Amino acid sequence: MTAAIATLIIGVILGYLGQRSRMCFVGGIRDFILVRDTYLLRGLVAFGLTAWLAFPLVGLLVGSHPGPFGFSDTVTVLLTIVGGFGVGYFSTLANGCPFRQHVLASQGVRSSIAYLAGFFAGALIFHTWVERVLLRLLP
Amino acid sequence: MNRVEPSIDEVTTAAMSEGRGASKRRWALRVTALQLGIVAGLLAVIAGAFFEVRPPEAYGLCMACHARDLVTWTTNRFAGTHLAVAPASFVFPVLTTIGVLLGALLAATTSGEFRWSNPDNSFKTFLYGAIVMNAALIAGGCSIRLLLRSAAGDLLGVIGFGGMVAGVTLGTFWLRWRAIR
Repeated sequence: MTAAIATLIIGVILGYLGQRSRMCFVGGIRDFILVRDTYLLRGLVAFGLTAWLAFPLVGLLVGSHPGPFGFSDTVTVLLTIVGGFGVGYFSTLANGCPFRQHVLASQGVRSSIAYLAGFFAGALIFHTWVERVLLRLLP
Repeated sequence: MNRVEPSIDEVTTAAMSEGRGASKRRWALRVTALQLGIVAGLLAVIAGAFFEVRPPEAYGLCMACHARDLVTWTTNRFAGTHLAVAPASFVFPVLTTIGVLLGALLAATTSGEFRWSNPDNSFKTFLYGAIVMNAALIAGGCSIRLLLRSAAGDLLGVIGFGGMVAGVTLGTFWLRWRAIR
């Protein structure tokens, strides 16, 4: 229950700030390639650097660090590359990362509401079919 | 001639009503992407360390996994299925999705930026949404969590983030090629 309330509050804060700043975690790279605009890219880099610094600092307070992350097999590495590539490529075609699509849907953009419907349906599709097919096909 | 072109009066009235719409905004915080990045990074780490948004590790903020938890938990609860749910959401699902939607709605309405529009084909974006969700669940995180995992020191996260950067680069070049063709 703690996690649900915490993520709800964090979500409201980030949703508010995300609408005001037009933040997109995919658009930063896209804008930099297209027009050398670094406005969104700064947000992406700031997020990564802040988390990179905050993990050990918070770890000192709590006394536990994230991990250990075990080394995984070749299939997992390949799937991660393919999945990451798919996230990047199709988010670019859809004109924004999932976070941006949530914000746009709340601004009244109907195609983003359709995107979210597909997003939620996609979770059910993955766990009912795609996951099982992958587990059967892969060694 | 006057019939074809909009008269000056019509144009000015339209501009004035636009101006009225803009002056209606009550308050709108000025936030840059850089500031959001810092706040989001801090909150994502704090959620995992202090508010039980774990395991898995580096799970504090992810639009895809958290949405998956919400959808599958609800389906399991009301349809009796046994779909996968992350351990952090066993008892009650994480509500990032609903929070972001509410927060953005609050920001859009208070700043007067809420406007119904339909810039893209809805069936196409529906498909994109389903594909991105499946790709994100295969990689183990959306664009946000791939970066969060990289920051936590997960080598797989770095690999997935590299794949994502490659995907965005190729997608951007494809969009540009289609635009100039």
